[in-house]
Amino acid sequence: MMHYTDFTPHDLVLLVQGLGVSVALFAATALIGLVIGLAWATLRYYRVPLLAPLAALLAELLKNSPVLVQLFLVFFGLPVLLELDLTPVEAALITLSGNTAAFIYVIAVSAIESVGRDQLETARVFGLSRWQTLHRIVMPQAAAFALGPLAGLLVNQLQVTSLISVIGVVDLTKVGAILNLRTLKPFIVWTVIGLLYYLMARLIAAACARVETRLRAHRACCWMKSPARSIPK
Amino acid sequence: MQFDLTSLVPYFGDLAAGARLTALACALALAGSLVLGILVALMRTAASPLARRVAGVYVDVFRNVPFIVQLFFLFYGLPEVGVELGAFATGVLALSLAGGAFTSDAIRSGILAIEPGVLEAAQVSGLPRVAIYRRIVLPIALRSAVRPLGSVFVNLILSSSILSAITLNELTGTAKIVAADTFQPFEVYALLLVLYAVLTWLVSLSAGALHRRLNREHTS
Repeated sequence: MMHYTDFTPHDLVLLVQGLGVSVALFAATALIGLVIGLAWATLRYYRVPLLAPLAALLAELLKNSPVLVQLFLVFFGLPVLLELDLTPVEAALITLSGNTAAFIYVIAVSAIESVGRDQLETARVFGLSRWQTLHRIVMPQAAAFALGPLAGLLVNQLQVTSLISVIGVVDLTKVGAILNLRTLKPFIVWTVIGLLYYLMARLIAAACARVETRLRAHRACCWMKSPARSIPK
Repeated sequence: MQFDLTSLVPYFGDLAAGARLTALACALALAGSLVLGILVALMRTAASPLARRVAGVYVDVFRNVPFIVQLFFLFYGLPEVGVELGAFATGVLALSLAGGAFTSDAIRSGILAIEPGVLEAAQVSGLPRVAIYRRIVLPIALRSAVRPLGSVFVNLILSSSILSAITLNELTGTAKIVAADTFQPFEVYALLLVLYAVLTWLVSLSAGALHRRLNREHTS
């Protein structure tokens, strides 16, 4: 017979550990995803043959398929295909980074396109190179345009990290599953887990809003219209 | 390294059955989300501060808590209070609740985008409030919300894969079984990924087409 036990002080340690794993994987994959996604967008900006359309196709596939299936493909599929070993954490890192990159790519592309063609033409007439145009003209405006969608994306990607519990990473959700199984108090356990995710989401949203106000105050420009949070889960 | 799809052919029947279950769950959840979304959108645009507040809290919570946590809360929690729903019904309920929050966003912006003059004209002409909502506000709001609702539906389909985590053998759950049976996880999940992508692509294409069709005479 199984023996169910009540909550112990050790459970608190477990919660903090799970929280740490979730936050660490979120931060790492957001950063890696940002770099890769921007690299894909750069391929498009320079209209690199073959690679640019490939990046677009890959982003489209990742954006329009369930993250859970992507996780299974990497964790169960890749090791068989390439005959290598992947730990759950490695599989989670690869999958979440790739998924974040796809959404960063989409945001970056629309942000770059938000800068009017006439500005690019003008920059070219003034003799700026394509890199100078990107660096001096496009990037500052595109960054301001992308901030709103980016905040929405980050909140969303935090929630997506909860799926890595399914392949065995002991993140916050997995800790919830462990405690749920042991104490058989689902309401308390999942309310606490949900609340922790909620607080983290609010923290991320507040941090993004702070950065945005600062940037706006710093620039004090009126042509930056605030884009609505447009990326639903 | 090899990629061989032919050995999956005998399992296409199973996968089709899983896909049907996914489609059914998503269709029911779409209906649930729409009902809930309309209700919540009306509450969020209502005059009563209490209604606005309740609706705001609902949307805030369901948008900021991961879907799998909501799902586990219902799946393990409901039997605790004597509500035995089973995996399928729990899954549809969870999808409807999460979808309702996003649906209400889309419909709310549709309501807010209605020109005040239209509503004033309706009020002045003495239409009862229910008629104003049923005949004027909702048709206009829903029509202009078709495209955003399409992307909500796409996300609903993607989220439905998570129902496999509560033992429901919908498309993803079935694929897990097939992957274990055939020892070809890469082929199975690659096929699944493309299937979902094509499915959601078709959904957003049709939503876009429907949106253009319904809003044609109003944009030109």
